[in-house]
Amino acid sequence: MALGGYANRIAHVDLTAGTVEYRGIPEDWARKYVGARGLGVRYMLENGPQVDPLSPDNLLCFMNGPLTGTEANMSGRMAIVTKSPLTGTVTDSHHGGWSAARLRWAGFDGVLVKGKASSPVYLFIQDGKVEIRDASEVWGKGVHDTVRFFRERYGEKDLSVIAIGQAGENLVRFACWVNEDDRASGRGGTGCVGGSKLLKAIVIKAPKKMPKAANLEAWKPAHKRALATIMDERNITSPRKGGLSVYGTNVLMNITSAMGALPTKNSMLTSFGPSAEKISGEYVKEHILVDDPTCHACPVACKKEVEIKEGPWKGLRMESLEYEPAWSLGANCGNDDVNTVAKLIDLCNDYGMDAIETGHPISIYMEATERGYTNGDGGLVWGDSMGMVELVRKIAFREGIGNVMADGADATARHFGHPELAMTVKGQGVPAYDPRGLKGMGVAYATSNRGACHLRAYTPAAELGVTPLGALKVDPLAWKGKGELTKLFQDLHAFSDSLDLCKFSAFAEGAEEYAAQYAAMVGVECTIEDVLKIGERIYNLERYYNNLAGFREGSDYLPARFLKEPSTMPGSQGHVCELDEMLAEYYAARGWVNGVVPESKLRELGIIE
Amino acid sequence: MQVNFYATLRPIVGSRTVEFDLGENITVKQLVDVVVTRFPRLREELLNADGNLYPHVHVFVNGRDAPYLPNGVETLIQPGDTIDIFPAVAGG
Ligand code: SF4
Repeated sequence: MALGGYANRIAHVDLTAGTVEYRGIPEDWARKYVGARGLGVRYMLENGPQVDPLSPDNLLCFMNGPLTGTEANMSGRMAIVTKSPLTGTVTDSHHGGWSAARLRWAGFDGVLVKGKASSPVYLFIQDGKVEIRDASEVWGKGVHDTVRFFRERYGEKDLSVIAIGQAGENLVRFACWVNEDDRASGRGGTGCVGGSKLLKAIVIKAPKKMPKAANLEAWKPAHKRALATIMDERNITSPRKGGLSVYGTNVLMNITSAMGALPTKNSMLTSFGPSAEKISGEYVKEHILVDDPTCHACPVACKKEVEIKEGPWKGLRMESLEYEPAWSLGANCGNDDVNTVAKLIDLCNDYGMDAIETGHPISIYMEATERGYTNGDGGLVWGDSMGMVELVRKIAFREGIGNVMADGADATARHFGHPELAMTVKGQGVPAYDPRGLKGMGVAYATSNRGACHLRAYTPAAELGVTPLGALKVDPLAWKGKGELTKLFQDLHAFSDSLDLCKFSAFAEGAEEYAAQYAAMVGVECTIEDVLKIGERIYNLERYYNNLAGFREGSDYLPARFLKEPSTMPGSQGHVCELDEMLAEYYAARGWVNGVVPESKLRELGIIE
Repeated sequence: MQVNFYATLRPIVGSRTVEFDLGENITVKQLVDVVVTRFPRLREELLNADGNLYPHVHVFVNGRDAPYLPNGVETLIQPGDTIDIFPAVAGG
């Protein structure tokens, strides 16, 4: 391949045959889809969109981008790409930490896993080689014990472990891969696909070996300039000064609650009132924060390590009391006990379950209890934190009502005879922004290619005025312009997810910084327009995959609650989400016909010949 | 009148909520002036060189960012209104 920057080495693992082959990346694909998310989806398309997500034929891709593990800041990211057993769409879920960088330092742009092993295995990756090894000793263990086991076996130095827990083994449909104890590729059930293949872990041993840019002369200023934006005191990324760096993502809890945009009690309400403060980033910093960990090459250090000081979980240390899971297992379930929220998130990490998704079947169960819909299946009242701890275990082990919940929010709501209780899009639960108070999120959830998701188009960046240097600020309660805004963010993020840079880079960097770093690393020309065009191509590629997988006209929707039940809380009182209007604007901007990509668009973008 | 402060503004004012002694018929803009007079370090956090609120700063009156109210920062604050002041915040 003529492009620089890449390792140009992908391991193709066939677990049924027990073989590993090494191949380069087709140059045309690298140019069109860049890496990580984009390239992973291209491999998924090649594998066939009709595949059953839990069959051996499904492909599970661990993909880096051309910036992963380089000197580029916020570049410790990997995309896990597969067909989701939760949504039936193609999905990609990213994690930080160091495993992505180590995969690159071990000499790989990606590892593609197909087939099913005859007994539990893990992949051991070192020095440009992938070996399939016996995992019977760790099968049945949680993520924390699995990580510990491999640290003892291979030594902690230069080691990264990406593992599934019991939830993945038990085929919980929203099971995830967790990297280094706390960093989850949370969404979409990628860990469930790992479990279906009897693949327990990816173990990477690789000392630091930063890849060099193809154009070193251009790299230096490109890197310097991107770093300057991250360090700029006017941006929330600014180390030890900006809100994201000081408080972590959970700095959002109070503002979304105050403006009536925090889905509360299964989205029956749009604010958690004074209880929001008790699970907020501010409260955490004042009471239980002990450290500020970071990821490869990131000066922001938004991870917030906490230690529980009292109660049944005294002494527990964990580092992912993030906004989304704190919302899901907190406000969403009427739970304002921050210690239990930390415990619940840690349990999700240990069992290997998406902590955002896990709150959904639980809050549905709580609402069903309140409304008298549980029909002899017991019940759980809002905020019953001890009951939640037990329920999370039942979900991971598919015990009792947990067996229903393990199939996701839609299955849980159907079980109680009230599908309208599921706050999902394409089977995936909504994250922590109520589209009645942040309207852009409504069209972003509906049109996300992986089911409800805030990270396909982070419209709150504009609705809260935190785009780089506050360049873009729009009214969170206005719907006009949000369709176009969503497209813009979707295309921009599709590109950065393919580089693969942390999503939070978008609070500092723009298309210009992305273009300059990509161009220098890979050794090509790249403009702002190219960034957005490539992003658009990747977004359309995913939509094309989903269209072929059966998601046709009318697949972009929101739960009726957001459209028909007005917010009753200050900030957004009286508002519903005007989805139809935003969707019309969005489809016009995309050139799609009611959610389907026309052939002419596919040709225009070079997706088909 | 009570004003609630959040995130990086809290260490500057020293608490979550600060009581301000204000007369009647005060606008949001006047309130902000009172706030930065009492806490001079807040001036650079909240206001640009022209003395206007930064776009990333939020002054909420009952949950609504003041610039989006019909009278914007000239809105008169009513007794019992909830006032929240946030610096730039996001995450996700
Ligand atoms: S901003 Fe946070 S999540 Fe992103 S790379 Fe830095 S420490 Fe990791």
